[in-house]
Amino acid sequence: MSSSSPPPPPPPPQPADTNATSKAAIITPLSPFQPDLYQRAWSSVPHPTLPLLATAHAKSVTVFSLATFTKHSALTGGHARSVRTVAWQPPRGSTNKRLGLVTGSFDATAGLWSFDAERGAGGAGSGDALEREIRLERGDDDGDDDKEEEEDKEWEFNLVLEGHENEVKSLAFSPGGQYLATSSRDKSVWIWEDVSSGEGPDDEDEWETVAVLSEHDGDVKAVAWAPSHLPNARAGVRRGHYSADVLASASYDDTVRIWREDADGEWVCVAVLEGHEGTVWGLQWETKERSDGRFPRLMTFSADGSIRVWTLRVDEEEEEEHGADEQQEGNTGFRSGFGSVPNTMRRSLREDWDCTAVLPKVHTRDIYSVSWSADTGLVASTGSDGLIVVYAEDESASQDVVGTTAEDGTLGPRSNWKVLGTVTNAHGPYEVNHITWCKRFDPGAERKGKEEMLVTAGDDGVVRPWQVRIS
Amino acid sequence: MERDLDNANPTILSVSQLPSRRRKGPSTRSGPDSKCDSIVFPKHSWPYGSYSSSDDGEDYGEEPMDAQDIYDLISTISDPEHPHTLGQLSVVRLPDIHLNPSPADLSDPDSLVTVLVELTPTINHCSLATVIGLAVRCRLEQTLPPNYRVDVRMKSGTHAQDDQVTKQLGDKERVAAALENDTLQRMVDKMLETCA
Repeated sequence: MSSSSPPPPPPPPQPADTNATSKAAIITPLSPFQPDLYQRAWSSVPHPTLPLLATAHAKSVTVFSLATFTKHSALTGGHARSVRTVAWQPPRGSTNKRLGLVTGSFDATAGLWSFDAERGAGGAGSGDALEREIRLERGDDDGDDDKEEEEDKEWEFNLVLEGHENEVKSLAFSPGGQYLATSSRDKSVWIWEDVSSGEGPDDEDEWETVAVLSEHDGDVKAVAWAPSHLPNARAGVRRGHYSADVLASASYDDTVRIWREDADGEWVCVAVLEGHEGTVWGLQWETKERSDGRFPRLMTFSADGSIRVWTLRVDEEEEEEHGADEQQEGNTGFRSGFGSVPNTMRRSLREDWDCTAVLPKVHTRDIYSVSWSADTGLVASTGSDGLIVVYAEDESASQDVVGTTAEDGTLGPRSNWKVLGTVTNAHGPYEVNHITWCKRFDPGAERKGKEEMLVTAGDDGVVRPWQVRIS
Repeated sequence: MERDLDNANPTILSVSQLPSRRRKGPSTRSGPDSKCDSIVFPKHSWPYGSYSSSDDGEDYGEEPMDAQDIYDLISTISDPEHPHTLGQLSVVRLPDIHLNPSPADLSDPDSLVTVLVELTPTINHCSLATVIGLAVRCRLEQTLPPNYRVDVRMKSGTHAQDDQVTKQLGDKERVAAALENDTLQRMVDKMLETCA
């Protein structure tokens, strides 16, 4: 699968190889996380590196260990109404090993929490120590009740972000952690900037509002930042128009909007993606590097039961400029955030995004959640109909089409998606609210820390892991 | 108070005019509507007389849900501004309740059944349409098994903003948040007090 290594003539067999279209996904349930939450679970978010999973339900968040599938800790008492969404804070600074989590609630606020791992681990201040501590703590745990109070104390509610008029529906940290975007039923997206020093365990959280984006005509259901760790994610920077961070928002108004910060520090809407015929419940950026080196695509999913893929249109002329830029930058090792093109010579700030694929339609009701794996490129979806569907893109097919579509300059590479497997009634008769790819750390994993499983969260309050084998 | 009502003089049906399964004796079945019953409904001795779901009746042990059952669950909800039920005000009408597929056809208890209820607000600009819809959705979600998916809509053309109201009522997240709003929850609770 890796595009960076030269492909040897007979490709070596890989466990997660998804190139062949004849493959099928065998999706089998693993034993659910314990304890049962009993109330509707809205979403489950795995920590980017540690074996932890945060699940939002009722007015709290339960953090599960991915090593044992049992409760690690809980965040309670911070919100007056249901917690709808949760996000892990990217590590801040080199010395700060604090674990950070942010919660978005129907009470119209977002809360910043921290888990003082250094205190919990007796002063051993490194991420490794924290990870060890997390694993050890779960190793000898049978009495959840005894430990519950103690665990709850470990999470501290540090800061409340107030400003939205109605329910907060979604939030996301920018890849570097500098920005936090929150979205609400009040039709707005707020961007907050971290202005705390980021050093030391006792550093106070301090966030400032840097933008209020209110161009949507309805609830903003979801926000997501484009990945910035990929070389191809810097197209916009090369164009000299914007800083590196790109935000996308999905709305009850059936549209998706793309936002960037311009050279004057203003956050502007650069594109409106229209095509869905119902509330757009959410979006997922492509986080697996593309073989064609282009900007990450965006996947959106909707109450209309469809999943769409959108591609940034790049015209040929401009692409040549990029090539030149890149060479120059390569020589000097210097890359300016805003490029060197004078203001007056800049092209239009608008971007063109084309819908380049619609995934095979399987769902019959609202699609509430989609997850696009950074490792395998596989996509999993779920929703009101209780189905889990796993899809794969036939990349060989898409490459065949590149040559023909590039000539007219309007269409990006067309993609070809296939259904690899489905599960019906994933949570019995209940709706499934969330699905995510997640690294496995449990004893049953063949490749611990690498192999991916799926985790779903349902109206039945069950958080369920699924083993996915491609055969 | 009366001046504040959106519709001060709604048409009200008496309880005996409401559709019901439990019609006693031939007198209530003498209208022209019942003449075709012998053709429409299969001849079998159903204890309650006519049974609107024609293809069932064998499985007496666990009787599948039908439109009349749904009607019975929601027609007794009180109107938020009139001292009458949604059935009496014809906001809820039996022909506007649809089950798909018919629960009688299901073999797996986890299979989904969609209940579509189309509401007819008493007047065109009923500001309380959303609250009525919320109460109907609530009542059904509280009482029906979890494999039922409830879709509540404003009957097309009956309400000035019927599309918006329908979209709101179909939005799980909005409905969940609305029910955490104390004022709305109290209104809905009050409307549901009259349900058996």
